[in-house]
This record gives sequence, C-alpha cells and structure tokens, in this order.
Amino acid sequence: MNKGDTSFEHSLHLEIPFESIKQADVARKVLLPDPIMKPEDFQVTYSTQDTKLICDFESVDERILRVGVNSVIESIKTIVETIDELC
Amino acid sequence: MSLPHATYTGPKSTHEFEVDPSDPRYQTTEGRTTGASDYVLKQGHQDVDKPSDPKKVDNVNSKTGIDQYTTLSQLRMQLTGLQDDINEYLTEKINHVKKPRNSKQEQEINDLLDGSEET
Repeated sequence: MNKGDTSFEHSLHLEIPFESIKQADVARKVLLPDPIMKPEDFQVTYSTQDTKLICDFESVDERILRVGVNSVIESIKTIVETIDELC
Repeated sequence: MSLPHATYTGPKSTHEFEVDPSDPRYQTTEGRTTGASDYVLKQGHQDVDKPSDPKKVDNVNSKTGIDQYTTLSQLRMQLTGLQDDINEYLTEKINHVKKPRNSKQEQEINDLLDGSEET
C-alpha cells in the first residue's frame, strides 16, 4: 500500500473483544490522542465493530511494526485494567 | 466473549495469531517479551513497572477451589500472551532478514582482509 512516498509493506490487523460496545468505544477514544512518533514509517487506525476494538497497523518494516504494535498493546492492557478496576 | 486475535501480512507471508485460553502462556499478566530483562533483575533492580496480578472474582469457585478471574482480567492475560506471540514472530523475522546480509558482509570483510576464511 502506498501513502504518499512511503510504502507500507507490513501490516497487522488486531481484534480485541470487550464486554460491551461502550467499553470498546472508550478504548478507541482513549487510544486516539496518542501521537505517532514516525508517521512516515508507521500508521495505525482504530475502529470498533460491535463489542470489538479493531486496530490496523501499517509499517515500512518488521522492526518498526514490532515496536509500534507492542506499544499499542501495552496501552490497551492498561485501558483494560483501568476499566476492570473502575467499572 | 470471543477471543482476541491478529493477522500479520507482509510482502512474502501472512501469519495468524490465535489465543488458546487453556495454554499457560495466556494465563498470566507477566509477559516474556515485556518488562525488565533478566540481566537487569539479576543486578538487583526492582521492576517498578511490573504488571499487576489479574483481578479475582469475589466468589471463588467452592467446588473446584480454583480462583476465577474477571472477564477483563482474562482478556488482559490473553493479550499478554498474544503480545508475546507477535513480538517473538516479528523478532524472528527481523533476525531472518538481518542474517543473510550480515553473513554476506562478513564474507566480504574476510575476502578483503586476506582472501581466505579463518580456521
């Protein structure tokens, strides 16, 4: 896939089921403000489908994909833990 | 509630990541590829960012005596295992890409140094 001059040859599609539509949407909204450090090398889009949070990652190589995906999953685990404690 | 899953797509391959809830790797909040390294821990440092334990349901299953975890804690444990799977798979791919280039470079260096391989 080409975005501008950059070729994102590596992608990862991640689906995370929550208990409710509201929880999935809260997670999406919490993740949205996180800045992408190198948008020319890495992109991520968040969406929801019923109770699922869907994350689509794209990157120029495996190394940057690994770093970006790991960071987002770490954030999602914190969000899940927070909802678990507060709700 | 269904299980989290992921799909990697690269120029030469695709890979599916599935969670098996009965596998111990999806029953812990402490990942193998996250947190402080063994080396750092052996130096006596405390891992202040260590993930918290999964949250237990108030009513323990009296018949089995086994702790029951909240649904979201189970999700967090499954995500930890899935994160390890993705990290290990991509690390292997990174190393696989590096090796041929490094060995080629090593060969070129050997050729430049003395024209023969070291014994």
